[in-house]
Amino acid sequence: MAIKDTVKPTRSELLELKKKIKLSEKGHKLLRMKRDTLIMEFFKVLNRARDIRTQLLAQYRTAERKIALAMSVEGVIRVKSAAFALRDKPELRLQSKNVMGVVVPLIESRGIRKAVHERGFGIIGTSARIDEGARAYEELVENIIVAAEVETTIRKLLDEIDRTRRRVNALEFKVIPELKEAAAMISFRLEELERENIFRLKRIKG
Amino acid sequence: MEIAVVGREEFVTGFRLAGVRKVREVPGDDIAGMERVMEELMKDREVGILVVMDADFRRISPALRKAMVESVEPVVIAIGKIEEVDLRERIRNVVGVDLWK
Repeated sequence: MAIKDTVKPTRSELLELKKKIKLSEKGHKLLRMKRDTLIMEFFKVLNRARDIRTQLLAQYRTAERKIALAMSVEGVIRVKSAAFALRDKPELRLQSKNVMGVVVPLIESRGIRKAVHERGFGIIGTSARIDEGARAYEELVENIIVAAEVETTIRKLLDEIDRTRRRVNALEFKVIPELKEAAAMISFRLEELERENIFRLKRIKG
Repeated sequence: MEIAVVGREEFVTGFRLAGVRKVREVPGDDIAGMERVMEELMKDREVGILVVMDADFRRISPALRKAMVESVEPVVIAIGKIEEVDLRERIRNVVGVDLWK
């Protein structure tokens, strides 16, 4: 039901409506600014996300090739036993930062890239191919962490842009026009009452 | 928090070599098993990032895939083209233009 169907045509209602229109227009302007700034932030992150994705795919293909070579030359059992000999696991720390009111993750990692002697499977027992495979996957894991951070940021920004855009559109195409229509209806009604009043007074005088 | 990987033997072995401990090996044809493991890892509070292969991600149920795509804790990274397709579609829906290409 439109506002004009429920509101009473009185001067106080007209004043209330005018206040609401002013507030809605102010809110609309602020939300539009927020939407535009969010889109600018989004563009900054988008280019980075695209590059990381391309890099991730290329790195995965390289790592896959290296590990396949290691497995075919050394054997699957040897590669797996080298993997189980590893001492440390990569650790992640999740923090958050605020981008235009949107809380996005900041992922810090530790213990991903390791020197040959730090891996735990010894230099003598394994070959360079296993080391190369391990190095390739360590680089891949590092890039996966960056990709995770950037893509989560993009998704959160997109959600906020979507939410803000809907609010801007709701104000622009529904709320403000309805309020203005109701205000116009009340103004017209009040003017009519004024005219009727004048006419009545003139008749009485006459 | 740590990284978890789900997939076939040839996919997960390399990640084991990089030091990832939370590795779940599931045969490629066992879709139900794959879904079960993915759901389990999604609920695990120790998992910060979940890595899957796009070929497996493509075959799980749409409801689970949607939940995983939208999840921020853990973040799901599907290696391959599919995640790019989902994100590209989302960008097109929100912004109105395909900005990914």
